[in-house]
Amino acid sequence: MVNLTIDGKQVTVSKAATIYEAAKEAGVHIPVLCYAKKLLPYGACRVCLVEVEQMKGRLIPSCTTPVSEGMVVITTSDEIKKVRKTVMEFLLVNHVLDCPVCDKGGECDLQDLTYELGATSNRFEGEKFDLPTDEVNPLIERNMNRCVLCGKCVRVCDEIVGYGSYSFINRGFETKIATAYDRGLDCEFCGQCLSMCPVGALLPRPFKFKARPWQLKEVDSVCGYCGNGCTVTLGVKDHKVETIRFNDKIGVNDGNLCVRGRFGYSYVNHEDRLTKPLVRKNGELVEADWDEALQAVADGLSKAQQGQGVGILSGARLTNEELYLLKQVAKVVGTENLDHSGGECYKGVTEGLKGALGVAASTATFPQIEKTNVILAIRSDFYETHPVVGMVVNQAIRRNGAKLAIVADKKGKLDKLPGAKTLLSKPGLELDVLNAMARLLLDEGLAQTEGIEGLEDLKTALADFEPSQVAERTGVDLETLQATARQLAGAENSAILMAYGLPYQGLNKELATAAANLALLVGIPGREGSGLYLCGEKSNSQGAIDLGILPQNAGKGAQQMLDAAAEGKLDGLYVVAEDPLSSYPDRDKVAKAFDKVPFLVVQDLFLSPTAEQADVVLPAASFAEKDGTFTNAERRIQRVRPGIPSPGEARTDGAIFSALANKLGSTVTFTGPAAIFAEIGKDTKAYAEFNFNEIGPQGVVWGGEVLQPVCKKVVAVSGGSSVKGDFQLVTGSALYHSGTVSTKAKGPMAVLSEPYLELSREDAKALSVVDGDLVKVAGNGTELKLKVKVGNRLPKGVVFAPYHFAEANVNRLYKGEPVIAVTVSK
Amino acid sequence: MFKEFAKGLSITFKHLLPGHSTTVQYPTVKLKPSDRFRGLHRLVPSQDREKCVACYLCPTVCPAKCITVESAENEKGEKYPKVYTIDMLRCIFCGYCVEACPVEAIEMTGAYELANYEREDFQFTKERLLK
Repeated sequence: MVNLTIDGKQVTVSKAATIYEAAKEAGVHIPVLCYAKKLLPYGACRVCLVEVEQMKGRLIPSCTTPVSEGMVVITTSDEIKKVRKTVMEFLLVNHVLDCPVCDKGGECDLQDLTYELGATSNRFEGEKFDLPTDEVNPLIERNMNRCVLCGKCVRVCDEIVGYGSYSFINRGFETKIATAYDRGLDCEFCGQCLSMCPVGALLPRPFKFKARPWQLKEVDSVCGYCGNGCTVTLGVKDHKVETIRFNDKIGVNDGNLCVRGRFGYSYVNHEDRLTKPLVRKNGELVEADWDEALQAVADGLSKAQQGQGVGILSGARLTNEELYLLKQVAKVVGTENLDHSGGECYKGVTEGLKGALGVAASTATFPQIEKTNVILAIRSDFYETHPVVGMVVNQAIRRNGAKLAIVADKKGKLDKLPGAKTLLSKPGLELDVLNAMARLLLDEGLAQTEGIEGLEDLKTALADFEPSQVAERTGVDLETLQATARQLAGAENSAILMAYGLPYQGLNKELATAAANLALLVGIPGREGSGLYLCGEKSNSQGAIDLGILPQNAGKGAQQMLDAAAEGKLDGLYVVAEDPLSSYPDRDKVAKAFDKVPFLVVQDLFLSPTAEQADVVLPAASFAEKDGTFTNAERRIQRVRPGIPSPGEARTDGAIFSALANKLGSTVTFTGPAAIFAEIGKDTKAYAEFNFNEIGPQGVVWGGEVLQPVCKKVVAVSGGSSVKGDFQLVTGSALYHSGTVSTKAKGPMAVLSEPYLELSREDAKALSVVDGDLVKVAGNGTELKLKVKVGNRLPKGVVFAPYHFAEANVNRLYKGEPVIAVTVSK
Repeated sequence: MFKEFAKGLSITFKHLLPGHSTTVQYPTVKLKPSDRFRGLHRLVPSQDREKCVACYLCPTVCPAKCITVESAENEKGEKYPKVYTIDMLRCIFCGYCVEACPVEAIEMTGAYELANYEREDFQFTKERLLK
């Protein structure tokens, strides 16, 4: 700690702090333009100049100067004011004064500073910039005439996102921010740059001319897409979410968002949203009132339960409170057939992790990743499914020199990070690589074996996983494999990351078990600063597991329910917040199940392909209309707050479940989410210690920052198997989408509007196809036509298709296996 | 005392004589208000559109909250008011909107005859204000 004096105030701060940070802590205001708390000090704007008594004779930029013992700082004097005003005059020489039409007006740092410093006239004259604006891309509007060259966009894109879209070009007065070759922006469109821009040079295009900042009501909620649980601050005007506001003050994401979080909000105001319940009469879905629809559901479900039973399939984007009510509905109906998210993808957590560690959740929190030394990511799609955690990984590498290794069948964004090593295996064989690492640790005596059960079994099971043989079999570079395993063992702190979700159904349990084995052997679980992270694809995947939206006792899981329905052995299905026809593997089976099942209820935002098959459709509410909690992939329970009313007669899922339970004869009612949350604590012990109304802006983490494992048991897993065929198809998530709901959002659709088949350059050349050509993909007894997208990510012989688009029918090919043999032809 | 009375009343009676009355025979005769009179608003046109750039300063400053603006982008990519309505029933003619306007797109005219029969007729839309 260092003591210094700022404007006569005694301050004690850490020695890593700068004068600006010390002043901020002491409550002394210093104006800044180019400073951002998450970026490294830069000192571009010179607005934050201060006087330091020990460095008399010149003014010192406070945002780049570290504090030292006994410093005496003066932040305002006549000279400082004069100099700051001059700096403003310089900045305003070329800056176009189009504040009336600039969407930044009202929250512009330059505007505020001009006002604060009273720069009403300018002693200097110069030409105003007249550069063309970049309106090519759909999401980020770049108007370089307004730029003040603070460099925040350049730095955030490099330091946080790790993409590096921008740089300064030219010299002197000609200097400007540009992309490579000064072409239009073509990037991830995460929009970090526009959240950082202090002026109106970078603005969100979907929000163009929509509202003034002071007209927006700000509602802090949690993003409804992936399991990272980023705080999104909804900017609401006239009951419409107009934009997502920048907010780095609360939440786990430090103001970072991905393209979905920042631009994918528009589905909540989509004109296709269901506004009235629909009931099938004479083969047609017709509008009905709530009472009639709920009565039909109650009657139908009761009748089905008396017959061959009812199954309930839920999505993982309901709040914890709603999931609890859903469980109550299942109880009242009397069914044990309850499941979520396709039933298979989360088994890595509920069976894999549970078997090895006795807990069904990630063992540490996301901020700890930044402090780790070695990170192992399983499947490169981790960045595609959880981009904001990917940004944390990037910071770990750049700020703390962490080493990153990726075990994957294709390359992705993570592989581009500095020093990242990819263990590129044949599809379906990632499991073998993990096993080989475990074997190497045991063979070389690097493993921490104290207190770990099941070692002997594991050793026997690993007989076939001699690293050199595995390397040969999987195509992974042996030296990288060995180096990674050794680094993991030698690291002070390490993290293992893996995402799960609907398109990753195959070998989930096995992969998670192998990851848990590896984590145990290097001592990750329970160690402060290290973690094994299994991250759900949906915003409340962890909550659904915590609350037990799983087959009860002898009940059927999702796939068994669909099997039973397809065989005519299930009389009712209640599908909530899911579109199995579009997103579940094996579309033909799902279609048959819905065809055969006598009574189908679908509760959703849109009339999805599944809803079109239903006997009753109930219009539900989006995350922006709900009050409750989500539990993110690091076990953090955060508040979701309603920003807008539901369209028409649509109701929140919670309200529907309550009304339905009452129709079915339940007498239990709750006064609101707080009361339900208190009830959850009775069933789910980990939630019992929290009070709904005391969940703060940072949320609360159940089980503590580091979750202690209940047991430490390595479990033997066999290897995966590759498939033989001309091409090997893997499905997964594309960066711009999440689930199927993002296909209703304008932002993600503007960037990626149609399904595609990604091919390597070599394969494209061999097939003589280019971007946009249609190709036939045949396998598993079906043939699809998809547009080609040629990329650098895939090794030869591997093709990739994202699963988000219902019309592509990718799930007719994909039946839940880790890899599919296909043929691709023109 | 009588003298003072006579003097005072003479002024009064003088005004009764023709040519000394201040009463105007409205509506046949109308007074011209002063240049600074704050009457009905007018949106100032430029060559091909209104001068207004929909910056939302007037609805923000308006103490009576009588101005409704909805901005949009025209085919040239410019910001313009798709909707600009003043509710004359609520307007208090304070003139803050004129003062706040950064592009001198709104001014107040001398028109003061604003009575009407229908409530809707008090909604002055962009088209009416541009006249």
